[in-house]
Amino acid sequence: MAIALVAQVTFLHFFTVRGASVSLVLIAVIWFSILTDIRRAAIFGFAAGFLEDMLSLGTGGAWTISTTITAVLAGTLSRAFFADSIPLVTGIVVVSTLVRQLIFWTVMKAQGFPPGLGTLHFHQALWQGTLNAAFVIAAMVIYRHREPLEVQAA
Amino acid sequence: MFTYREERRLFAVLSVIIVAALVALIQVGAARNGTISPLSAVVESVGALFEATIGSATVATRGAMQSAARTPHLLRENAQLRAQNQTLSGENAQLHEALSSAVQQQKLAPLLSSGSRAIAARIVGFPPENEVQSVTINRGTRDGVRRDDGVINGDGVVGRIAEATPFISKIVLITDYTSSVPAMIEGGRWWGVAKGNVNSVRMEYIAQDAPIHIGDHVITGEARSFHSGELIGTIVQIQRSPTGLYQTAVVRPAADLNSLDRVAVIPK
Repeated sequence: MAIALVAQVTFLHFFTVRGASVSLVLIAVIWFSILTDIRRAAIFGFAAGFLEDMLSLGTGGAWTISTTITAVLAGTLSRAFFADSIPLVTGIVVVSTLVRQLIFWTVMKAQGFPPGLGTLHFHQALWQGTLNAAFVIAAMVIYRHREPLEVQAA
Repeated sequence: MFTYREERRLFAVLSVIIVAALVALIQVGAARNGTISPLSAVVESVGALFEATIGSATVATRGAMQSAARTPHLLRENAQLRAQNQTLSGENAQLHEALSSAVQQQKLAPLLSSGSRAIAARIVGFPPENEVQSVTINRGTRDGVRRDDGVINGDGVVGRIAEATPFISKIVLITDYTSSVPAMIEGGRWWGVAKGNVNSVRMEYIAQDAPIHIGDHVITGEARSFHSGELIGTIVQIQRSPTGLYQTAVVRPAADLNSLDRVAVIPK
């Protein structure tokens, strides 16, 4: 998570598509949430969101709240399915990205930001969901290709 | 009395003599006429084909053998060239970075000249999710940076200090929704408020009768963060309503906020 955060506040800013970039922090949170129980997922999500709020300007507790709820949601969604299914994990990542943005802008509005920013950022959220999904698919495909090699080597 | 075998041999000898005579006649005839005989043409063509085939095979074989003999040398040379290429690419990237940095430094030089209180700073961070238009600089309260200080670069206004800690500070860019700067149209001195609009700035509350034009420069007015006269940007669109009290101008920021590197904090 620390590496993901450092990447996001430094160089990932230069790899944006229509204002959106891959959220490594969210992907790490979802991955952890899928693999562990809901309580630990919530703690991890809380920590990630809190750190993002610390590194952001004027977001108050919006990332903390939205990331915690998203971690719980991702953990709950994955309970009934296989955690290593690419379509499932990709779907959870996309849904979580959109839900997280929705909660974030709702909290921002409650903190005094002008209304309508969520709608204004919807396009950006869709792009981020797509980028996150593409990253997760690539990561899982690489992981699956590496796994048999490691088994053979053993 | 000839045997069958001797008779065949005689026929063969006679045939050879006849063919040889024919060939000789053809060759002599061609020589007399000064032309190439058909026989010579056929033989030379077939010979040339063989020569070409054998020649190509020889050249290819010799080339392959030379290559095989030179392979270790070529591999060494290739490795050396790769290493050299990598070094040069690295140096090239460093020089490009130095050049880019020098250009920005040069633009900032007048702001940081002796007597000026401006504080030079470098951009060191960005918001984690691009949700707000802000950047982090490597100067804080220990260096004299205070909240609400204006920030500019060589091209124009960048934003203002929103948070200042001892070692770093956060700048809210002029394109952020929360940014609001008193502004004037250069020349006409028409007042308005420049508000952030993600990729541009909207100058609102300009008097309806103000004769503003696309291409006019927008500068800061004297206020909390800036002294008057700092360039904000250029008007690219004007929105007027016949019944409205005010008109609005869309302003393209003068500073390229997507490639910020060095900035100057201007304490008031």
